Amino acid sequence: MGWFGSSQETLPTPKISADGAPIAPDRSQRARCWEHRDAYFSCLERNDIIDSIKERDKAAKECSAEGKGFEANCASSWVEYFKKRRVVEYKRDETLKRLQAEGAQGTYVKPGQAGKP
Amino acid sequence: MSKSLIPSQALLSTFSRSLRTDKSAAFTAQCLRLRLAPNTGRRTFSSSEPRMYNTVEEARSRYRSGPFSWKAGILFLCSGASLILYFRYEKARLERERVALATKGVGKPKVGGPFSLATHDNIPFTDRDLLGRYTLVYFGFSHCPDICPEELDKMARMIDLIEESPERKGMEKGMLPVFITCDPARDTPAVLKEYLGEFHKEMVGLTGSWEQVKAVCKAYRVYFSTPEGVKKGEDYLVDHSIYFYLMDPEGDFVEAIGRQHSPEQAAALIRGHMGDWVRRNR
Repeated sequence: MGWFGSSQETLPTPKISADGAPIAPDRSQRARCWEHRDAYFSCLERNDIIDSIKERDKAAKECSAEGKGFEANCASSWVEYFKKRRVVEYKRDETLKRLQAEGAQGTYVKPGQAGKP
Repeated sequence: MSKSLIPSQALLSTFSRSLRTDKSAAFTAQCLRLRLAPNTGRRTFSSSEPRMYNTVEEARSRYRSGPFSWKAGILFLCSGASLILYFRYEKARLERERVALATKGVGKPKVGGPFSLATHDNIPFTDRDLLGRYTLVYFGFSHCPDICPEELDKMARMIDLIEESPERKGMEKGMLPVFITCDPARDTPAVLKEYLGEFHKEMVGLTGSWEQVKAVCKAYRVYFSTPEGVKKGEDYLVDHSIYFYLMDPEGDFVEAIGRQHSPEQAAALIRGHMGDWVRRNR
């Protein structure tokens, strides 16, 4: 995969703003992080791993390259957040599917209305 | 009904009388057919009972459609359609008004209130600075993984849509987009300036001390989980409510806009309120 060639091993040190505080990742850094997240998650999907935190060993074995890219391009709090949210979304989709199979009808409220930022 | 029954009863009685007198039966039946013929017109050869009913119906409908003309029909449809449109418009307007006025007056839940913060240019900014124009307030933090940036992109689109709208022309000042950080430890004025500059130049970032931010979040009923006294360089996330708060030129809360609204829907909603405001204060 092309983008791994250019990826750094660790997060770049954040730019420091005029008043001395580190600046949050900008648009391109965010995009890079999301790209690596998606790559890691598609690897998890190929290997049938839902919870990469609980199944840490399996995830590390099957998706080590993607995992390293993910961690190198996203802040560790983001990595943890995305991993957890993947599990939450999986469970939500499962519940929805189950309810639909049982014949439940209703309006689907878009996710994230009362979630983490 | 009675009008149509009289001739048919008369006919039936003639018919039954003729049945009793065997000899004249055939003759009377023939007479009956002859007598009916002018009334039934081209339905002469259909079965006799519905024929009589249909005849009356036809006559009645012909009587009814007497005053009808194309002009009258078109006039009727046009006035009906315009009435429906007018009622719909009024209904939407009244609904907006109800929402906008729900937070005014005594005994109503209050969202918003006095606060004292600083802008991304380190200029003091209080709730007084929100007056005289519609304000869209969003709470977030710059180290937000994905939802805040998405919502801020949406906000940028809303700002442009509203700025171009005819409703904005009726207002003295355009809408003020405000971003209040929930993470004052990391979001200093300079950080907010860099961060918001990527989204829209009109956005005003507000920050302050932990206590000041806590107070404004409380006033806006925003839940947030920023830890107090974090160490420098620490990596953490902030859990917070994700709504846009629309405030009117008097500083009263109007409506919350959530993730389910597209920028276009949100802009239409705000434009509706702006238009009402202009009409009310003309």
